[in-house]
Amino acid sequence: MANSLFTLMIFSPLLWMGVLALLFFSQMKLAEERLSNALKYYSLYMVFLALSLAVVTFLHRPSFLLVDFPDWFQVGDYEFKLRFIVDLLGATYALLATALIGVIFRFSRNYLHREPGYFRFVFLLSTLLFGLIVVSFSRSIDLLFIGWELVGTASVLLISYFYDKSQPVVHATRAIISYRICDMGILAGAAWSHHYLHTTDFVIIPTLLDHGHGGVGLVFIGLFITWASLAKAGQLPMCSWLPAAMEGPTPSSAIFYGALSVHLGPFLLLRFYDYFAHFPILLVLVGLIGGLSAIYATLVGRTRSDAKTMLAYATISQVGLIYIEIALGFTGLALFHMVTHASLRTYQFLRSSSLIQDFYENPVVEHNKTIQRKLFFERLFSVSVRQRVYVHALHGFHLDYFTGRIIAGFLFPMRVYLKWEARWMEFDTRLLKFLLRKK
Amino acid sequence: MKLSAPLMEIVPLVSTFGPAIISSFYQVGKRWQESVLGLLGVLFLFFALIFFTNDFYASSHSHSLFDVRYNKISVFIGLLYCGSLFTGLYPVRRTINLSPEFLFYVAGGLGIILANNLPTFLLFWTFQRAIPMRAFLKEGTGGTYIFQHLMTFICFLILMGFAWNEGLLLVPMTQMPASFFTWPVLLLTFVIVYEAHGIFPFHSWVHDVVGRLPWYEFSAIFLTRAGILLFVQLLLPTLKFDPDVFQILLLSLSIFSSLYWSLRGILEENFAKKTTYLYIAQASLLLTGMQANLTAAKGSYLHMMVISIAGTSLFSILGYVNHTFSLKRRSQFYGMATYYPKLATLFCLFGFCVIGVPLGASHIVEDVVITGLLEYWPYLGLGHIFATALNGILFFLIFTKIFLGPSPYQNAPGDHDMSQGQMLPYLLGFLLLLMIGLMPSLFLEHITW
Repeated sequence: MANSLFTLMIFSPLLWMGVLALLFFSQMKLAEERLSNALKYYSLYMVFLALSLAVVTFLHRPSFLLVDFPDWFQVGDYEFKLRFIVDLLGATYALLATALIGVIFRFSRNYLHREPGYFRFVFLLSTLLFGLIVVSFSRSIDLLFIGWELVGTASVLLISYFYDKSQPVVHATRAIISYRICDMGILAGAAWSHHYLHTTDFVIIPTLLDHGHGGVGLVFIGLFITWASLAKAGQLPMCSWLPAAMEGPTPSSAIFYGALSVHLGPFLLLRFYDYFAHFPILLVLVGLIGGLSAIYATLVGRTRSDAKTMLAYATISQVGLIYIEIALGFTGLALFHMVTHASLRTYQFLRSSSLIQDFYENPVVEHNKTIQRKLFFERLFSVSVRQRVYVHALHGFHLDYFTGRIIAGFLFPMRVYLKWEARWMEFDTRLLKFLLRKK
Repeated sequence: MKLSAPLMEIVPLVSTFGPAIISSFYQVGKRWQESVLGLLGVLFLFFALIFFTNDFYASSHSHSLFDVRYNKISVFIGLLYCGSLFTGLYPVRRTINLSPEFLFYVAGGLGIILANNLPTFLLFWTFQRAIPMRAFLKEGTGGTYIFQHLMTFICFLILMGFAWNEGLLLVPMTQMPASFFTWPVLLLTFVIVYEAHGIFPFHSWVHDVVGRLPWYEFSAIFLTRAGILLFVQLLLPTLKFDPDVFQILLLSLSIFSSLYWSLRGILEENFAKKTTYLYIAQASLLLTGMQANLTAAKGSYLHMMVISIAGTSLFSILGYVNHTFSLKRRSQFYGMATYYPKLATLFCLFGFCVIGVPLGASHIVEDVVITGLLEYWPYLGLGHIFATALNGILFFLIFTKIFLGPSPYQNAPGDHDMSQGQMLPYLLGFLLLLMIGLMPSLFLEHITW
């Protein structure tokens, strides 16, 4: 039964996407009302599947279910295996994804009512859901990469949802640059794992390590994977794109940068935890990145004045804390933290556009107003120190400047070469003219 | 089915050279353009017929100076050549003016594809590459193009001298013995292959062509895959005898070349040049897979299919958009998605198919090529990954610049999109790429020769 449930879980979103694509290319105009209704049933169906799968997994814990489909393709000795793992981590994340996306679908029914891009929004969110399900249950890095990329692509296209304005497009470009740079990590990790261990299977890798396979080169798999997790999670040094990514519609900001996409970084680390446990140095690194990001985001977030940006920085700092929890080995706590944080942030992001109304009417906000803001940082340092720190925080600790310098440094040899090439080509043309001159 | 007449082998050449010669003597109109497209369509079907007929005829061992022959790789490239040009040109047939030279490019291209020995290859290669030279010499520009091709021509002559010396001049390229490939011969061949394919450091001629020739003429030159053909027919059978250091150097150059073209594209302002650089950066990676091992080579053949169809479609869509709006005004963004929502979507999808987004064809290619590379050269595999990442960034920069953002043509009237019938070749092309992405086994199984 679990096998059938899982098969439905994987193939239903794919089928749904296919139907939507067919509707788009055949130019069949589907009324918004009908699409919303269909979405309602689709969301409920997906939540039901995810919940059932989570219950089955919970009852069978700590063992997990392995689902093997026939090989996707085969070239020579190389086979791309469609192998999935249904464990508590994956089932929890999939349940979270289906539930929150269901909420977003419902919310956007009113929020994006009569928006011309509603259909596009639905399609991209459906792509996100499929990507997340693939990531949740993948048993190998190769397979995980498929879901990972789909999430990234949907994310970028949703940032540029209002494509006729320049800022969303600029920020979408920033996002894709960050994604592509970090996604190299997953591919490189897969490559390294193939080379050293001849597998990228999450179940087999720790077993191989237990039996003493590998060497120093294996640390690089972890380094690559950690690097890959940074962009999606918005951790240092890849964090400045995330607050800028709030240009998309609020529901997509909520689901991507408050809830699901941003937690894929910690999810990846949790998926790899059995591997990371063999290399304490990597856990130290993860903890350091998380700690620094949490401090950075807290300080910078306090200097921001708009709600969505503040929330974005708050998200980064919380994800940083989840990194620390993973580094300390509290994987259960990290998962719990992810679920609760994602739910809270979704609520906060969705309510951010009603902030002023909430300030006067919402009882939750009323309760929060009474909390005295005696913050630790404020008491610990003198006013002048705080002022200096906040001035730098206001500039994001010049992270963009330093990133720009690094990129410029990387491009410098290219620019020098291009100058020489241009001179060389000019010389060629002059020589040609000289040879062709009329006597 | 037996396609046994030797006449069949010169059908593509006669059917293209004939009209090309006629068109150079007589004034040709719009009708001629339709006929050229029809011819490309017929040739596509012709190659498809041969490709899917396993028992195809090959008049081997002719050992004549002019030797044209079908073998599986040449028919495969011929099929892609005509198919891609047709896919790219048919939807925009009313907005372009094909020059009479275009058919000469195609005829020369088909000659290169079907050439079976060195003299025939040189003949057609010289013919095709000499066509732009006329214009360059008239203008006194394109020095690098002329000198680099001259250098390659001399290399070719020396290579043929070596072959003459060994009595192998008229021997089919695939039958050259391994003993022929001494160090100087290998070096000469690689210079020719790399120059023909626009690989660093023999790439500078491309700058002279990009932006000067219309996209379809550039495609007619580049889609012949002269470098790949020479590599596969001449070198691949003997590559295993080559010293490893030589192979590593060449693999590195292919990957470096892709990095170079991607960075060049990122730094470039002109979007037409940017798109061409994206295309060449992808094409550079073809040789990487070919040189790595058999697994990666299969990926490369698939890659060739992907970038031929997707690349030509990208050029074509861009050409169509540029035709209506003449995107010459300096602007951060052109916002063309407002006027061409469907074409913008197709452009985006074709781009995704090229840069390795999953469910598209290129994801399979990347997976196979990188896996193949890793078997022996893990560090180069990392280089390949870096190259594809930069490629993705470059594509997105092109897409955002042309299709997204606020349009500077605020007063232009609404929807300029193509009709569904008009964009049918694109849709079919995309469907094919999607099918490769979803069911790669169907295609990978057929790539065996």
